[in-house]
Amino acid sequence: MKKLTFILFLSSIIASAQEAKENAIASKKNELRFDLLSLVLDNKYSLSYERFIGKDFSIGINGNVSNSKKINEDFNEGYRNNVPKFEINPYVRYNLSKSKSRYYFLELFTSYNSGDYKEIIRLEDANGLGYYTTQKKKYTDYGIGGSVGYKMYFGESWGLEMLVGYGKNLSNTKISPDNISRVGINLGYRF
Amino acid sequence: MKKYISIFIVLIALFLNSCNTNDAGFYRNVYVDSDGLVSIETQSSYSVGDKIYLKANIPKLIVEEGQTTLLDIFKTTGGATQFNFSYIIEKQTNATDWEVVTVNDSELDIENGLAQSGYYINSFCNYNSTEEYQYRVGFPLMSSGNYRLYFNYNGGETGTVELRSISDKTNLILNITSNVTELNSSGVYNFTVN
Repeated sequence: MKKLTFILFLSSIIASAQEAKENAIASKKNELRFDLLSLVLDNKYSLSYERFIGKDFSIGINGNVSNSKKINEDFNEGYRNNVPKFEINPYVRYNLSKSKSRYYFLELFTSYNSGDYKEIIRLEDANGLGYYTTQKKKYTDYGIGGSVGYKMYFGESWGLEMLVGYGKNLSNTKISPDNISRVGINLGYRF
Repeated sequence: MKKYISIFIVLIALFLNSCNTNDAGFYRNVYVDSDGLVSIETQSSYSVGDKIYLKANIPKLIVEEGQTTLLDIFKTTGGATQFNFSYIIEKQTNATDWEVVTVNDSELDIENGLAQSGYYINSFCNYNSTEEYQYRVGFPLMSSGNYRLYFNYNGGETGTVELRSISDKTNLILNITSNVTELNSSGVYNFTVN
């Protein structure tokens, strides 16, 4: 009997602590995140801000600056005709779980992105002789997409988020990338 | 269950990140047409011990079909010093069958350019001081019989040869399709060795 009482007592302490943690997290409405995966794999600096509104929704914005050696090499060696450099992705999220400390979410995002592209053109030199060459220009485009992710907090402020998303550029895909991928493993701080 | 879904998300994230070259392709190739760059030096008859010669004299400035100005192929390719093409020589073994004729490289008469003999003759026109890409190589005819010579064994336009510049990895690759007047309507040059 004493043993059962002790277990019930311990369980109630744990539940109470968990509830306190959930409440503490829920009371913090802002979060900043940094994407570790993109930095390691693509040399892409990705910073996000998220504002929690209401019970299940949040809105945010993500900014990326890329300078991947591999993608630049592929661009220079002709394996791709564009190289993304800059992205701004506003998004809205919906929490799929009841918990505030560990939960899955769905995301709808839009994207404004830009970078370099190149095309092969025929020119004439001063002597009137033709030659082909590549011409590098800038592109900009906007797109829309969706993501799914999982977020977990270790304490009341620090958390890790995994995100997988996919979208399409809409206005300029002759020169911009057709697809937008939004993937990352983010370390975040909630305040 | 949540653990497995999380692991799944991480794996998909890693996979998509590795596939992020979403518009990958090959954007260094330029394709042009220019006639009469390669020829077969035909003879009225061939005997055992003769050689059949192929010749290419490709000037630095070529006439490009559909354009009003000459094309500087040396400048286009960033100073490529070679153009590559290939061809096959076969001998008839019976009424319907042909077999590839191969020789040792040392048996080829290489006057200009480079050539390597195998299933096909891998040929290179070399850029020289006359500002031309030149090739002239003789293939020895060792036995009597019916022979045929053709290009484009991997497909391509009938009656033509496809030349491809050997360009550095950041320069454009120029692909030239050129008709060969000695080929018949099937894209083959037939000849007999007596």
